[in-house]
Amino acid sequence: MLNRLVKIFTSLRLTVVLLAFGIVLVFVGTVAQADEGLYQAQFRYFKHWLVWGITFFGHRLPVALPGGYLLGTLLLINLVAAHVQRFEWGWKKLGIQLAHTGVILLLVGQLATDLLSHETVLRFLEGETKSYSESPRGYELALVSDAAADLEEVVAIPGRLMTKGAEFKHANLPFTVRVADAWRNSEISFRAPMQEHAAPLTTNGVARHFDFHHAADTSSMDEKDIPTAILEFVTPERSLGTWVASGWSGDRETIANVREGYRRRAGPQMADSIAEKLAASQAITVAGKVFSFALRPGRVYYRFSLTLLNATHSVYAGTDIPKDFRSRVRLQNPQTGEDREVEIYMNSPLRYGGLTFYQYQMDAGETVASAGRVPSSALQVVRNPGWLTPYAGCFIVALGLGIQFMTHLVGFVSRKRA
Amino acid sequence: MSLSLHLSSGRWPRLLVAFLLSTALTGCGGDEIKVYRVPKEKATEVAVQAGALPEGHPEIGGLAQPRLVWKKPEGWNEAKASEMRVASFNVKTADGKQADVSIIPLPGTAGGDATNVNRWRGQVGLASLSPEELKKTAEAVEIAGQRAELYDLSGQAPSTGEAARILGVIQHRDGTAWFFKMTGGEALVAAEKPRFVEFLKSLQFQVAEAQPQLPPAHPPISGTATAAPTASSLDGKPTWQVPAGWREIPGGEFLVAKFTIAGEGGAQAAVNVSMSGGDGGGLLANVNRWRVQQLGLPAWYDADLKKETRSMEIEGGKAVLVELSGTDARTGQLARLVGVVVPRTGQTWFYKLMGDPKVVAGHKDEFARFVQTVKY
Repeated sequence: MLNRLVKIFTSLRLTVVLLAFGIVLVFVGTVAQADEGLYQAQFRYFKHWLVWGITFFGHRLPVALPGGYLLGTLLLINLVAAHVQRFEWGWKKLGIQLAHTGVILLLVGQLATDLLSHETVLRFLEGETKSYSESPRGYELALVSDAAADLEEVVAIPGRLMTKGAEFKHANLPFTVRVADAWRNSEISFRAPMQEHAAPLTTNGVARHFDFHHAADTSSMDEKDIPTAILEFVTPERSLGTWVASGWSGDRETIANVREGYRRRAGPQMADSIAEKLAASQAITVAGKVFSFALRPGRVYYRFSLTLLNATHSVYAGTDIPKDFRSRVRLQNPQTGEDREVEIYMNSPLRYGGLTFYQYQMDAGETVASAGRVPSSALQVVRNPGWLTPYAGCFIVALGLGIQFMTHLVGFVSRKRA
Repeated sequence: MSLSLHLSSGRWPRLLVAFLLSTALTGCGGDEIKVYRVPKEKATEVAVQAGALPEGHPEIGGLAQPRLVWKKPEGWNEAKASEMRVASFNVKTADGKQADVSIIPLPGTAGGDATNVNRWRGQVGLASLSPEELKKTAEAVEIAGQRAELYDLSGQAPSTGEAARILGVIQHRDGTAWFFKMTGGEALVAAEKPRFVEFLKSLQFQVAEAQPQLPPAHPPISGTATAAPTASSLDGKPTWQVPAGWREIPGGEFLVAKFTIAGEGGAQAAVNVSMSGGDGGGLLANVNRWRVQQLGLPAWYDADLKKETRSMEIEGGKAVLVELSGTDARTGQLARLVGVVVPRTGQTWFYKLMGDPKVVAGHKDEFARFVQTVKY
C-alpha cells in the first residue's frame, strides 16, 4: 500500500495531471474574475485547498476543482518525492539536480510569499507623522483604552472573524463582544428628519444619525467592501447596549469621500457637520475605564515613525502630464536614535526594518494647491521575507540547465574528436 | 563513482505529516486577536482636511458655470480637459518644445490673487512679492467686456533649471475666480504671447446655456439630483404623507428618500426625493440632466424651459413641474418622468417620479398631491 503511494507521488503522470489541473484552474479562475472580482476570485480559486462551485462566463456551475494551495502542495510533494526517490549523486547529474532544486525553491518561495508577505498602505498629509500603515481591504475592530499618560492599549479583533453570532472574550477586556449581525459590505445614508419614521438600527452612537444597509459584495477592482457590524457589549452583570461599528465611520479616507459627496450638493458647512457626526468617537465605560471602539482598516505598527515633509507632483514643462511623484519623509527611530530625511519616488523605495516603502498615490501639485487642500501622499508598504527566493530559484535553475547543457556539449565534442 | 539515495518507505509518512502540519499551521496565522500598546493618537485627524479650504470658501464644483466660447488660435491643439480644468490646449513646436494652456474656474476668491500669483512665481524660481508690489507688475487685459490682470512671469524652473515663462491671468466674475494660464519654455511662451492675448479677447461667457452635465470631478451619484438636508431642514422637520402602495427603500448616501411603485405585470416606477443647497445648479441644468443623462433626449435651452414647464401651487409658494418621455438610459426601456422642483430659501428640493410610462401616468396626480402635502 505504502509502496503504491510512493509510486503515485513520485510518478511523472501525477505531474502531468497536476499541471493539467493547474491550466484549468488558471483559466477558470481568470474568467471568474469578471463576475466575482479580482480579489474574491484570487482568494476563492488560488488561495484555497478546494473550490466548490465555479462561475463560468456568468453561469454558476456546481463543479469542484482542486484549489491553488492543493495543486501547489501536491506539485511540491511530487517534485520533492521524485527528486528524493531518483536522487543519484554524480557530476553528470549535477545540472539536473540543481535545476530541480531551483524549481523546488521557486515553489517553496511562492508559498512563503503567499503566507508571510503583507501589503499595506501608509497615507499621510504633509506635516503628519505616522508609525503605522493600514490594510487596503481588511478591517479590524479596535477596542482602545488608556494604558499610560501617553500610551493607549489596543485590542484588535480581525474583521474576518466578525460574523453573525460570534462572541469575543479577552483577558484585557472586562466585557464580551457579541456580534448581533455583520455585513461584509454595506451602504450608508444620512438620517434626514424626513426619514426618521423608520427606527434606527440602535439608539446609540453613530446609528442615531446614519442608517446602514447590507449591500452585495463588490466585484469592481476600484471599489472595496465596507463592512458594518451590529455589536452588543455585555459584562457578567448587564448589557452595555447595542452599537453599530462600521467601516464607514472608522476610516478617514471614507469619511473624506462622504464629506466630498455632500460638500458638492449641500455646501461645505453641512458636509462638515455630517462628516463630524460620522467620525465621532464611540465609547463604552466599564468600571470607570473608557473603551472607545471602531471598525477601522487593519493596522500594522512599526517601531519607527515617518513624517511627510513634502509631497511633490511635478509635470512635464508646458503640459499637465505627470513627470514625477516624490515624497520627502523624515524617518525617526527612537530605539536606534536615527533621524534622517529620505526621498521616496518611482523605482527608489525606502527599505527599512524589513519593510519596503514604495511611492503609491499622491494628492499634490497645482490643482491641490489651487483648491486649498493640504497635499498628501500614500506609500505602499510591503513586507516580504521571501522576496529573494524567486531570484535565487531562477539563478539555480539557470545554473543547473547551463551545467547540464555544457556537460552534454563537452561529452559530444569529446566523442566526435575521438 | 555514484551515490544512490533511497529512503526506506517507513520514513515517508513522517515526512508527509511533518510537511502538511507545518503548512497547515503557517496557513492559520493572522486571524487571532492582537493586543498592543501604542502612543496615543491625536483626535484632530479628520478635521485636518475640513479646515483646508480658506475661510468662507464656497463649495467647489457645486455652482453652475457659464459655458465658455473661444476662437482657437492657429497652431494650438485642444486637449482633453482634466481634473478642474474646463478647457485645455497645448502648443507644440517642430523641435519638440511644448506649452500648456489651462482654464480653471474656482468659486469665490480661491485663496486670493496674491497667493496664486506668488505660487506661479515660485514655479519659475521668482521670489514672492507683497500684494501691492504684485499689482504693479500686472498688465490689464479685457476678457468678455471685463477687466482682468495678466502676470507675465519669466525665470528658471527650479526642477529643471531651464528658462521658463508663465502667462497667468485672473478675472473675478460673478463670484468665480477664472484662471487662464500658459506655461512652457521661455522662448515659446514669449512667441505665443500675442496669440494668448488674442485668445483671451475672443472668450465669451454664455450664461444662458448652463451645463447639462455634472462637473467633471463630480462623484457618481445614483438617482436624480441628490443632496443631504441643510441645517434649516433639520430644524424645520418637514413631514409628508406617503400614498398607499408606495414602498420606501434605502435611497443610498445622497437621496433624502426613495419609494418604489409597482404596476401591472412587473412594471415599476420610482420616486426619488433629494435636496440641494442654493439653487442646486439651476433649473435648466437639472432638467437637462434628466433629459440628456437619464432619458437620452437633447438638451433644452432657456426658451424651451419656459415653454415646456408649468407652475404648480404648493404649500407656501410655487414649484415648477416638468413632464418628459424618453428611453431610460439604464434599462433601455421607454420611460416617463415627472419632475417637480421646489425652490425654498437657501435650498432646492427635487421630486422625481420615473419609470414605466403606464405606471407613471397612473400615479402622476397622486405624486403631485404628495409633493403638495410636504410641510417644510
